[in-house]
Amino acid sequence: MARNAKTDLLQGTLDLLILKTLALGPQHGWGISQRIQQISQDVLQVHQGSLYPALHRLEDRGWVASEWGVSENNREAKFYSLTRAGESQLEVETQKWERVTAAVASVLQVVS
Amino acid sequence: MGRWLRRLRVLLGGRRFDDEVRKEIDFHLAMESERRQENGESEQEARRGARLAFGAVDGVREEVREARGMSFWDTLVQDARYGLRTLARSPGYTLTAVLILALGIGANTAMFSLINGVLLEPLPFRNGDELVLVRQQAVQSSRADAGVSIQELQDYRSRLASVEDLVEYHSMSFTLLDHGEPDRVDTGVVSANFFHMLGIQPLLGRSFLDGDDDLGAEPVLILSHAYWQSKFGGDPSVVGRVLEMNDKQHTVVGVLPPYPQYPRDNDVYMPTSACPFRAAAEAEPTSHRTFAGLRVFGRLAPDATLERASGDVAAIARSFERDYPQDHEATRSLGFTGDAALLGEELVTNARSALYVLVGVTVLVLLIVAANVANLALARTLRRGRELSVRTALGAGRGRLARQLVTESVLLALAGGALGVGLAGLSTDLLAGFIGRFTPRTGDIAVDGRVLLFALVVSLATGVVFGLAPAFALRRDLAGGMKEGGVQSGAGPSRHRLRAGLVVAQVAASFALVVGAALLLVSFYRLATKPLGFETEHVMTAAIYGNFSSLETTEDTQLFERQVLETLRSSPGTRSAALTAAVPQSAIVPGNVPVTLDGFGDGTPYEVDRNYASDQYFDTLGVPLLAGRDFRPGDTPEAPRVAIVNQSMAELWPDADPVGRRFTVRGPGMPGMPGTPDEQSFTVVGVAADYRLYDVEQENPAQYYLPVSQNPGRGTRLLVRVDGEPLDAVPIIKAAVHRADPLTPVEELATIAEVRSATHLAAPRLTAALLAIFALVALAITLVGLGGVIGTTVSQRSHELGVRMALGASRLSVLRLVLWEGVALAVVGVVLGTACTVFFSRVLSSFLFETPATDPLALAAVAALFLLAAVLATAGPARRATSIDPMQALKVD
Repeated sequence: MARNAKTDLLQGTLDLLILKTLALGPQHGWGISQRIQQISQDVLQVHQGSLYPALHRLEDRGWVASEWGVSENNREAKFYSLTRAGESQLEVETQKWERVTAAVASVLQVVS
Repeated sequence: MGRWLRRLRVLLGGRRFDDEVRKEIDFHLAMESERRQENGESEQEARRGARLAFGAVDGVREEVREARGMSFWDTLVQDARYGLRTLARSPGYTLTAVLILALGIGANTAMFSLINGVLLEPLPFRNGDELVLVRQQAVQSSRADAGVSIQELQDYRSRLASVEDLVEYHSMSFTLLDHGEPDRVDTGVVSANFFHMLGIQPLLGRSFLDGDDDLGAEPVLILSHAYWQSKFGGDPSVVGRVLEMNDKQHTVVGVLPPYPQYPRDNDVYMPTSACPFRAAAEAEPTSHRTFAGLRVFGRLAPDATLERASGDVAAIARSFERDYPQDHEATRSLGFTGDAALLGEELVTNARSALYVLVGVTVLVLLIVAANVANLALARTLRRGRELSVRTALGAGRGRLARQLVTESVLLALAGGALGVGLAGLSTDLLAGFIGRFTPRTGDIAVDGRVLLFALVVSLATGVVFGLAPAFALRRDLAGGMKEGGVQSGAGPSRHRLRAGLVVAQVAASFALVVGAALLLVSFYRLATKPLGFETEHVMTAAIYGNFSSLETTEDTQLFERQVLETLRSSPGTRSAALTAAVPQSAIVPGNVPVTLDGFGDGTPYEVDRNYASDQYFDTLGVPLLAGRDFRPGDTPEAPRVAIVNQSMAELWPDADPVGRRFTVRGPGMPGMPGTPDEQSFTVVGVAADYRLYDVEQENPAQYYLPVSQNPGRGTRLLVRVDGEPLDAVPIIKAAVHRADPLTPVEELATIAEVRSATHLAAPRLTAALLAIFALVALAITLVGLGGVIGTTVSQRSHELGVRMALGASRLSVLRLVLWEGVALAVVGVVLGTACTVFFSRVLSSFLFETPATDPLALAAVAALFLLAAVLATAGPARRATSIDPMQALKVD
């Protein structure tokens, strides 16, 4: 199963964004996608669909849990929430992200 | 851990998971299109836009499955489907492989069902693993359990704290009278709490109650389920019925459920007080302290271990010797002691080595089968070289192709396994009958869940192992498959070595099997033809237990015995007739009686075997009397006590000439048999030649014979020497017995040869036959495999061989070349197999009679057989090689 090489970077970012979003409270997939789109706007150009493999991967890892419920407009929807393990993972990912951005920023400063 | 559980849930959810993902995506699309409509897009635009923003729905679904670890299974299903299609396209290969695999897996499954039933299943009793046997033995005699006496049991009951609920058991054969028809029944004589202790509830009526085994209690009986079914047609009104036995009225109080009876199957059970011998012995508490005929077992106390119980029994047993010196005079020099053994272990000890041999055999068979099918699969991969190369060219990785091949072989193995389980199911009865000769624990042998699981695991493992061979070869040489003549490509030397190696492994394993079978056959031949020193074919035997109701007194019995013998001796076609206590070569073992020679030796007793015989006994068997005289009617109870000794016992006297001399027997008499004092002297009147009364694997013991005429009631076995067909004597024998007493049943009619065949020859014959069958199957599979490999080589080398012939090689030299290739493989296999045999035959050695496990002659003979067989198996391909047309071969390129 060949996969795009760029997803590695994207995946990490997407996972972080999902976890961060869910830290605010349980949400269904569409809600998460709206939220991420709001935050990142045009910077992260991903198909909305690629959110779902990421969600399921996080669920497979045990970082998020899911439950069927009723949406704000009375539709059946699958709600995701952050688990205990997900909370600590969010912390790990955030630190990692900060280290990377800091490193990249310092490289950029030196070069310019 | 949680991750695998989640994945398992998804996997087991199957379609539901897919539905949920679809629903989730539908929800997303609906929400997105709603949002777009709110932003002013038309419904159609909104829906299109939502789809575009989402991306490929199918792709997302696929990725979701992958994220959940489902891709492994998706690929598996794909591979399996593809595998089934390709297998269906080559039915010949598929059928051969499945059949061979079925043999290997079936044999192993059957064997596991034996091991499962005999060794792994718990005893079918309440907490069966707590049951222990209390044993006593004289260390230096060969018997592990000499039994316990009534007085000793009473002592154990009061002093042995680590074993609770001690019960006794022994088995008798009594005549049961019902509707006036005598019926000989196997009777278990047991303590009242016997069934309660084992946790067996009666099917009908009641169990024995406390007090049922008190002396003088009303005699009661419990029927076994099988006896109730066969003799009373399962009639529930049998409870309360009164049956006559041993001259007493017994009330049937209950019927047992069908359960595997231990220590053996009985027709009926009675409490100890109902057995005349047992009751008589209990009534004389001071005597017969060491008359040890009882099996005693009980339950480990809650806080006790087997080690502690064993130590306690040993301590108590040793105290018997100290406290009752006279009773233990005979056994003192032999080291009297006791121990405790787990009943579950005790019941299977004898079966272990038989099981190990069978396991060794079936593992070898499976090895051969796996190697053989691996070779078939390799050859097939070779033929599929083109297809596989195309798939590689189309982007399939090697790992992916290897996985495909392994999936196919696992499919084959599963099909073979399913068929094998069927074969195993068919053979369990036969195998249970075989192992039943070594253990009573055959009741649980069946193809159950655990056996099915075993078959599944073995099938999967076999499939993976033999599938890896072609997959491994694939790694090396896929390149070049696309070239012209791709069918023959990919036959690199490494692959040939692999195929050759697999053939060598098969030859080695089947060589070990055939050698084992040959050794067992030779051993069986030696056992069966061992000279016994007496006539077995023309001696008819029968069991005639005198009937208590008509033979009340000793005189009655004596009269009965004389009448039977006289009638028979005057019947036409019978040369002589005699009575004895046990049929020679039946399932009997030597006893040991302490004997001192009057006027010789220092008074230390010899261990001697005691037997009973009437006059004409030695004549009937054709055993010569070396000195003195035979017993005669004049040897009455009133006359001086006489004995005939065998040659081995005669040699205990310094001049080996004991006629006229006396010897003395000290020790217990027979309880319930008044007139057998604890010390008796006998005058030797004759010396008989040694002959094999017992199993030939036993040493021939020193023996003396006492006349039945001075020991009435001992002559329960009739021996009749006939001139013609032994079967013709059956009506004559029945008539003679019934003329003397119509109520005495005549049973177990068989010649001594038949008795020997059923008792001592049946197990070795079955072992040899089983192994021979396995060995032949293994040999056949191996030879076909060898022929196949050489055949493939010939077709691969046809070009080369053609060139050789074009350059002037003779057909003979080509023939020799190909033959040599097959023979060389066989030679290497035989050499490795010999090493294998050394290990295997160590397990076998306990089954061999007068045959060394590494008999060089047997090894050489089997090796020669293998080489010959290898030549034959290679002959076909070799002939094909010589008929290659050089022109044709050259044109192929």
